[in-house]
Amino acid sequence: MTPNDNPFARDHDLCSDHCGEHPTVWDLPHVPLGLKREWLRLETRRQFLGKGVQALGWAGLATLLGRNGVAQAAESAMATRPALVPNFAPKAKRAIYLFMAGSPSQFETWDYKPMLYDMVDKDLPESVRGGQVLTGMTASQARFPIAPSIYKFAQHGKAGHWVSELFPHTAKVVDELCILKSLHTEAINHEPAILQITTGNMFPGRPSLGSWLSYGLGAINEELPTFVVMTSKMPHRTNVQALSNRLWSSGFLSPEHAAVALRAGSDPVLHLNNPKGIDGDVRRAMISGVNDLNRQLFERVGDPEINARIHQYEMAFRMQTSVPELTDFSNEPASTWDLYGPKAKEPGTYAYNCLMARRLAERGVRFTQIFLRSWDQHSNLPKNIRLMAEESDQPTYALLTDLKRRGLLDDTLVIWGGEFGRTCYSQGTLTAENYGRDHHPRCFSMWMAGGGIKPGTTFGETDDFSYNIVKDPVHIRDLHATILHLFGLDHNRLSVKFGGLDSRLTGVLPAQVIDAILA
Amino acid sequence: MTGAKGRPGWRWLVALVGGFALGSAVRAETTFYQARIAPIMDRHCVVCHGPEKKKAGLRVDSFEWVMIGAESGAIVKPGDPKGSELYRRITLPATEEEVMPSDGKPLLSREEIKNIELWIAGGASAEKVMADFPGAPPLARPKAIAEALAPDWTSRAAQITALEQALGVRLLPRSQVPTDGLILRTASSPARCDDAALAKLAPVADLIVEAELARTRVTDAGLGAVAQWTNLRALDLTRTGVTSAGLARLQPLRRLERLNLTDTSVDDAGVGHLRALPELRQIWAFGAKVTEAADPRVVAK
Ligand code: HEC
Repeated sequence: MTPNDNPFARDHDLCSDHCGEHPTVWDLPHVPLGLKREWLRLETRRQFLGKGVQALGWAGLATLLGRNGVAQAAESAMATRPALVPNFAPKAKRAIYLFMAGSPSQFETWDYKPMLYDMVDKDLPESVRGGQVLTGMTASQARFPIAPSIYKFAQHGKAGHWVSELFPHTAKVVDELCILKSLHTEAINHEPAILQITTGNMFPGRPSLGSWLSYGLGAINEELPTFVVMTSKMPHRTNVQALSNRLWSSGFLSPEHAAVALRAGSDPVLHLNNPKGIDGDVRRAMISGVNDLNRQLFERVGDPEINARIHQYEMAFRMQTSVPELTDFSNEPASTWDLYGPKAKEPGTYAYNCLMARRLAERGVRFTQIFLRSWDQHSNLPKNIRLMAEESDQPTYALLTDLKRRGLLDDTLVIWGGEFGRTCYSQGTLTAENYGRDHHPRCFSMWMAGGGIKPGTTFGETDDFSYNIVKDPVHIRDLHATILHLFGLDHNRLSVKFGGLDSRLTGVLPAQVIDAILA
Repeated sequence: MTGAKGRPGWRWLVALVGGFALGSAVRAETTFYQARIAPIMDRHCVVCHGPEKKKAGLRVDSFEWVMIGAESGAIVKPGDPKGSELYRRITLPATEEEVMPSDGKPLLSREEIKNIELWIAGGASAEKVMADFPGAPPLARPKAIAEALAPDWTSRAAQITALEQALGVRLLPRSQVPTDGLILRTASSPARCDDAALAKLAPVADLIVEAELARTRVTDAGLGAVAQWTNLRALDLTRTGVTSAGLARLQPLRRLERLNLTDTSVDDAGVGHLRALPELRQIWAFGAKVTEAADPRVVAK
């Protein structure tokens, strides 16, 4: 094709750095003009492989289903993509992230504040608040009456952790936990806060933690997705925020690193079953044919998204056999049901998802994220947080116990927490039985266990009001740096060129691995 | 500690200095105290309880000083860790004022505490040797000195890749440090991995540091091959056909630290074969027939 035949040649020259050096869609015969135009439009927005990488691209494709390994590690000197081998020997091979969306109050869970009982219904001292801007939900309140936890605390385990009576089961395994009381974030509203903790950035479009792990380490089991997300049925619904796949998207990484969302019920992965009348052989032949076409296209245009597409077809095909086996709980011994409780038989419950998470860990899924929503207790906190705790306490305990007895906890990191904290003062009227709590970004609690975490420890301290951090603050990027460290990854080195930066999960501000909590 | 508990320390000193001298004359083997307890004291305690500073009148820079105790009396009650002030101080939560090491210094690791506990429980002896404490977990290596876990694999990459392709298993570097060894990984197709496949891994026997064999078709016969992997640290045999008899073959795995026997038919007799493995610190046996009484390293419930 000569430039004159190409109505967009000028545009193309201006916006693409390899026009003229490589054949493009424009050079393919038999492609309708409309399609070529569309390609041209999209092409300007796509991130193409650089010239040097293109040669490697094919080699990469050949080993697509086992990209990590000695060959890659050996060639890592010319590292144009991660070697998929950890920087240093990891403690964690996989993680299960129990995401408590909406944000549980730290006061009723992990940050025991006895002093507040002496200050019931007194006003929060201005010196503590320090002029902080509040959300629109409580900024106009005339008073900020202090509301201690209605639930009692007691010390448990050898470590003597203070545990709320809402978590009698988790209390039994508290010696496994490292409780972090000094997390903090900049975001005060749910969507930016949950994006920040799942992707490291308040704005949508970034790869999530699980995607980075998939990108950096690859799969353990090629028959299953590397990153799985499950959402849970809620025991009650108040102030429920939507969950979107922004939270588990691959952002600017190749789409194969996004999570596969497992749904409740008989069809856990959508569109996985063959349509009526199509058997496995036909499906195989069809996928092979489509992939051949895609490979040809990749050879010509080198767009990495084509690789991702091929990968996804192959993954879907393999999941046709691996997913039914995964979701068939019939071979679970009776002890499983005693441990997780009867709700574990009901697909979509948090208990079911916890059991599924253990099965995913056993089979080598790298990162599983379970979302449980409706912790956003601006009002009626005492009643609603109890419902949430009752729904989740036993399954969480069961998961930890089950991982431990099967020898999986050693190299499986378990993470529990929400997106920010809540206020020590009541949102709305404080009565003897009722109160609410507003959002609070300055401090919140989480816990981690297994996977190289020092058990039976706490880290960080807040003041008597759990309003400000007084010792060992942990920013979300420190949390992320620590999680990557447990997987053997240096958060500074796990980066991808995007938006003019070496973009990474921990962003551009300094992040610290929290050495003190490493076993 | 009250003065009423008396100061049995001197009696110990006299008895044991003699015993120690005699003991070291007849056997050259390092004692458990030298190998495990003294390094812990040196690392964490001697700055405050040594020749320079003697906080609370306590020195811990030798066995004899430890047994003498502090101003207020003995800190070790042989046979009774829970009743020993030394043990109490190192197991307090970090938030307690009395916790040792004091002044917010890093606390002892689980492994260090376990070694001290076993040593006291075993009579706080100056003479007992490593073999007397089969359940004592190894101490973490200080970070700076990274020990080679296996020979450098990089010159054998082609051979490794060929084996992977022939056997349908993965042989993955554990890290970018080439002496961290390889993981034998079978999760993608455990059904392809059987005894015959393990036998064919002989050329890389010295490189395998972790073997993930859960749900594979490996049986006792295959453990003969595994026994050649002398740099193996972790072995997962979950839900395989291995039996108690087969475990007898694992004797050569002197470096094995973790063994997973979940959902196998192994029983107490099988675990008995593992007693002499010096570095083995954890045996998981949920769903097997092993009881926790069989070996202190077993987790069965
Ligand atoms: C930073 C200095 C420091 C370090 C390091 C330290 N200690 Fe202490 N230790 C003290 C001081 C000061 C006291 C006296 C105050 C007290 O009893 O808490 C003490 C008291 C003790 C006592 C109580 C003695 C008695 O009166 O019965 C024991 C036991 C003890 N330390 C053991 C240890 C052990 C074991 C370690 C190492 C794991 C250790 N200490 C490390 C400063 C230290």
